[in-house]
Amino acid sequence: MCEQRKQEFTIVGRSERKVDGIALVTGKPKFVTDIDLSNMLYVKILHSPYAHARITEINTSRAESLPGVMCVLSSKNTPSTRYTTAGQGYPEPSPYDTRMFDTKVRFVGDRVAAVAAETEEIALQALKEIEVHYEELPPVLSVDAATALETAIIHDEKDASGIFDPARNISAKIDINVGDVTQGFAESDFIVETTCETQYAQHTPIEPHVVLSYLDEDGRLVLRTSTQVPFHVRRIVSYVLGIPLHRIRVIKPRIGGSFGVKQEVLLEDLAGLVTLRTDRPALIELTRQEEFVSTRTRHPMRIRVKLGAKRNGVLHAIEMEALSNTGAYGSHSLTVLSNVGSKTLPLYNKAKNVRFSGKAVYTNLPVAGAYRGYGATQGYYSLEVAMDELAGQLGLDPIELRRRNHIRCGESSPIFEEIGEGREGVAQTINSCELERCLEIGAKRIGWAKKRGSRTRNGSWVHGLGMSIHMQGSGIAQVDMGAATIKMNEDGSFNLLVGATDLGTGSDTILGQIAAEVLGVPLSKVIVYSSDTDFTPFDVGAYASSTTYVSGTAVKRAAEEVRGQIVEVAAAMLESDITSLAIKDEQVISIDGRSVTLAEACQRAMYQADQFQIGAMASCVQDQSPPPFMSSFAEVAVDTETGFVKIVDYVAVVDCGTVINPKMAQGQIEGALVNGIGYALSEVMLFSPTGRVQNATLFDYKILGALDIPPIDITLLDSYEPTGPMGAKSIAEIGINGPIPTIANAIYDAVGVRLTKTPFTPERVLSAIRSHST
Amino acid sequence: MALSNLREYVRPDGLDMALSLVKEKGRSARVIGGGIDLVRSSSPDIETLVDLSQLSLSYVRQTDKGIAIGATTTLTEIVEAPVLNNYLQGVVVEMLRQVGAPSLRNLASMGGTLASAHPWSDVITLFVALGAQVTLYNGVTRMVPLSDLYASRALLSPAIITEALLPAYAHGTAAAFMKFSRTKFDIAILNCACLISTQNGDCESVRLTAGGTPQLAALLPEVAEVLLGRKLSQTSIGQAAEMARETTLVRNDLRASGNYRRELVYAGVKRCLTCVSTHLSGASQ
Amino acid sequence: MRICLTVNGKKQELDSTPGDTLLHLLRRIGYKGVKKGCESGDCGACAVLLDGRVVNSCLVLAAKADGHCVTTVEGLAGQEKTGELHPVQEAFLEQGAVQCGYCSPGMMIAAVDLLAHNPNPTDQEIKEGISGNLCRCTGYVKQIEAIRIAAKKMRKSADV
Ligand SMILES: Cc1cc2nc3c(=O)[nH]c(=O)nc-3n(C[C@H](O)[C@H](O)[C@H](O)COP(=O)(O)OP(=O)(O)OC[C@H]3O[C@@H](n4cnc5c(N)ncnc54)[C@H](O)[C@@H]3O)c2cc1C
Ligand code: FES
Ligand code: FES
Repeated sequence: MCEQRKQEFTIVGRSERKVDGIALVTGKPKFVTDIDLSNMLYVKILHSPYAHARITEINTSRAESLPGVMCVLSSKNTPSTRYTTAGQGYPEPSPYDTRMFDTKVRFVGDRVAAVAAETEEIALQALKEIEVHYEELPPVLSVDAATALETAIIHDEKDASGIFDPARNISAKIDINVGDVTQGFAESDFIVETTCETQYAQHTPIEPHVVLSYLDEDGRLVLRTSTQVPFHVRRIVSYVLGIPLHRIRVIKPRIGGSFGVKQEVLLEDLAGLVTLRTDRPALIELTRQEEFVSTRTRHPMRIRVKLGAKRNGVLHAIEMEALSNTGAYGSHSLTVLSNVGSKTLPLYNKAKNVRFSGKAVYTNLPVAGAYRGYGATQGYYSLEVAMDELAGQLGLDPIELRRRNHIRCGESSPIFEEIGEGREGVAQTINSCELERCLEIGAKRIGWAKKRGSRTRNGSWVHGLGMSIHMQGSGIAQVDMGAATIKMNEDGSFNLLVGATDLGTGSDTILGQIAAEVLGVPLSKVIVYSSDTDFTPFDVGAYASSTTYVSGTAVKRAAEEVRGQIVEVAAAMLESDITSLAIKDEQVISIDGRSVTLAEACQRAMYQADQFQIGAMASCVQDQSPPPFMSSFAEVAVDTETGFVKIVDYVAVVDCGTVINPKMAQGQIEGALVNGIGYALSEVMLFSPTGRVQNATLFDYKILGALDIPPIDITLLDSYEPTGPMGAKSIAEIGINGPIPTIANAIYDAVGVRLTKTPFTPERVLSAIRSHST
Repeated sequence: MALSNLREYVRPDGLDMALSLVKEKGRSARVIGGGIDLVRSSSPDIETLVDLSQLSLSYVRQTDKGIAIGATTTLTEIVEAPVLNNYLQGVVVEMLRQVGAPSLRNLASMGGTLASAHPWSDVITLFVALGAQVTLYNGVTRMVPLSDLYASRALLSPAIITEALLPAYAHGTAAAFMKFSRTKFDIAILNCACLISTQNGDCESVRLTAGGTPQLAALLPEVAEVLLGRKLSQTSIGQAAEMARETTLVRNDLRASGNYRRELVYAGVKRCLTCVSTHLSGASQ
Repeated sequence: MRICLTVNGKKQELDSTPGDTLLHLLRRIGYKGVKKGCESGDCGACAVLLDGRVVNSCLVLAAKADGHCVTTVEGLAGQEKTGELHPVQEAFLEQGAVQCGYCSPGMMIAAVDLLAHNPNPTDQEIKEGISGNLCRCTGYVKQIEAIRIAAKKMRKSADV
């Protein structure tokens, strides 16, 4: 199972240009708001100024009477159905604790009312005319306050469901035991314990959330929206608004980045309702400020990791305990929490005794949701810092410690079976793992042997090296489903229709490459159309690193079926046996050298004999979720006078199976690393004492720009995952897990301080250095 | 919409006409340079904007008094002006390259940059250290030290900045600028600058500033005092930096605590002085 | 109010209001390649060339642009002799510098200004040139590469 299976590909493995590239570089109207609809209404949302309050009265009559106002929505005239905004498979493993407009607000930025008007100005004006009386409740502004004995209850509504323990503000809870950790620690020769804490951070896609809704000629509701999950949007909007699913069509055009924040139904219900009520198109476009205040964030977490190892450096017991802040609503609270353990602990499968426990608690702060890395990012911080600490105690090189403990091909971990996404997981054996090479190559490229521990000085700057290793998954085993339809045209081209959602990741292109590879045509002969619930088959959407592995397999299967049909037609034309035929270079060629073109074959099937549409649909659900692996290394320089941390070099070596499109795959890692470095060093949402976001602009919330990026050196290993399409697994998320622990460990190497709280701002680093040296 | 009550946008072709517009309409009329701050402010008070682009105030000129920069000159035009490359070791260009980004520097004007008086302004921190002068027009023309403009905002109401002057300095003078920010495309958590003239290697005049403390740039006279009459050495620089840490007025804000800013003043002053010292010893060789 | 703008070489008389920004005006008249990411000068998605220099169109009042020339991403192709696409567009495509493509118009506009004034930039100068254009997808690596390659190509074609 584990040996490399070399396969020769023609289209797969090439850095093909993006199929939507020309349109994007020439500025064609590809995004949600790039089309003009006449008669459109502008919708603006009134957000709560209070972190926790009951709405005792809301009077919208003055707003309604303003000329140009077409519709005002609030708790008084909207469905009271409880649902979750989390765009997950059905039934969603997130609590149904949200209402379109509730009579209680739970964070500054929560929905209070909305206005649809002829112009944006009128809508904004009307918001000011809405009178709301609030009865303020004590706000719960930290996880400690949320779990304290005397605390306000955030979800005291009676009609919510799926909340673990509303009275104690616990949205979700998990407790997994393998072996016996108590005994495991007792038997260990070395024990370390580390607690690390991560901050509130936002995805900041450059395009904020936006949706345009309208009725088509037949009166069906069309939602043109910036989403990762068009099919979930359709289902959830149907449920919330109480309209039949078949009356809704969701279209995802090009979207301007997402990273998890658009795996939520945040606006579509509202736009849809406005359109249904007014018979007019409606646009909701969030401002950057609203994007920060009212959308989703990464779950801030406090995670304690305890490691027990034998003298030989082999882990014997691991305990991980996570306290996750889900904010005001429980979107993704259980599943992100589960992933803290499920995407990290199998990496060190030598430990026989493992305990993973955690709670996700409600607070009156912005709502957390899915964010690239999905809990693994937070988990790896504590785990990999603890591993660094353990290496120190054992007197082992951190790389050597990883070598003695990481999972290998042909091995398994009980964790795979114990933790799934909101339910039990699925047992799996690793079929591809190149971690050993990842470590070896990474160490060489960063200059580990020579530079680590040398603490080179340059004025007040001291250099240090750090590393960490990671895995993620490829889709959710036995849950995520993707489907693809391929139909052939008489010029030998193909329409590939996929439910999969290209967020800018390039999935349209790589799915096209997979189809083109199987069908023996250049990519230009595959017309990719994706994410339109009326025209493409179902797909869960773009999350959990599922697209290449799950949707890609569906594409491959559909293409293989179509290839079979073509060969049969050609066999009839060439009067030969199908086994003597092969497809290559847009032709079906027989061993005796005769051939027909694909176009001829299709023309025959379409117009001439035994007529039928050459085409097929195929689906895929995978029984496993093969992890991609990565080693991550950084050289940093720490300014001991100011605490500034400069990344001198960053090296990542990734095993993602077969690389379908090298440039795009590198781009996924580069983007994720830079996002992760920003998350490690500068990004943080700050709150006022009343729970208001204080830095809700890109002026005050600092993501990295071009001048901030270090030299980044990426190696994509040539590996092969037998269960993946063409040997591929995922790559989209894993990169973001690297920077925090890698940089933390490098800072430790440089100046001997452990940073246990992100972001590592210069102020924090300096204060850590100062308190260390005194 | 950016400025919801804006009613007129005027491009007068004479300075008097521009002035009379702002005088007549009070705070509802503003002079616009690049317009960056005005558009971002979205102020509902603004009804009239007076654009100075027709007044031939875009220039960077070497005069016998120094380098004169017209009020409508963009920061990019200043960066690209050849005369500034040799002015005080190119310190103005070095500073301006750290201000915002090209897409902002192509808009931002000299006049708007000085008038807006952002406490974290990199330009003001350096220009005050350099002893820049500004020319104001309120019916009569007069030139005042830039720092006076911030000491008394009354100087600007109503008046139009027409020019900034960077004084000419003799051989043996050097300047430096330092900026600390969270990312590179960011305003300063703290910035500082210095200008030192020496006579036989001894500091004869010293101007040091720190800005974004989070207040607007202020001179640090106690620190200058430490250096006067002395040579720049590791010891004197260290003492000056210590003095800066002790005496600079700092406060907390969202970006950093006052205590941390103290450390930055220390490092910033030390680095500026070290840089000046290098410049001076390089020049004397 | 009426204002006169030359957009991508085409002179146009347009209806506007004094508070209108160039960003809104351009999108309203169909230049949808000009993107909106913050409306406060912080992201660069709205960047266009104003008389040949990159500016954030969300910070420019349409009235201020009256009588001036604007180039948007839609006007880049066909400008250079090297082919249909502008060399910067070509390089962005070829290098995989476009992911979601939302920052790309502004980023490419900034690159075009940079290369017009500095045909042979160092990597540091390239980074400075696009320092006001935020991208959340790519990590900038491929964009910097693309600009380097475009510069080389443009220098070559200027030589012949
Ligand atoms: C994203 C971003 C990043 C930035 N980064 C930095 C940075 O790193 N460092 C830094 O120092 N600054 C930075 N700035 C600030 C920027 O430099 C200023 O916003 C800009 O210089 C203002 O110039 P302007 O010409 O556009 O001003 P305008 O908006 O035109 O004018 C500002 C004010 O000055 C008045 N005014 C304009 N011209 C005159 C005149 N001639 N006489 C009298 N009054 C006048 C106006 O009425 C108005 O009140 C940044 C700004 C932004 C938006
Ligand atoms: S939209 Fe203009 S800079 Fe962001
Ligand atoms: S490519 Fe998506 S923001 Fe740059």
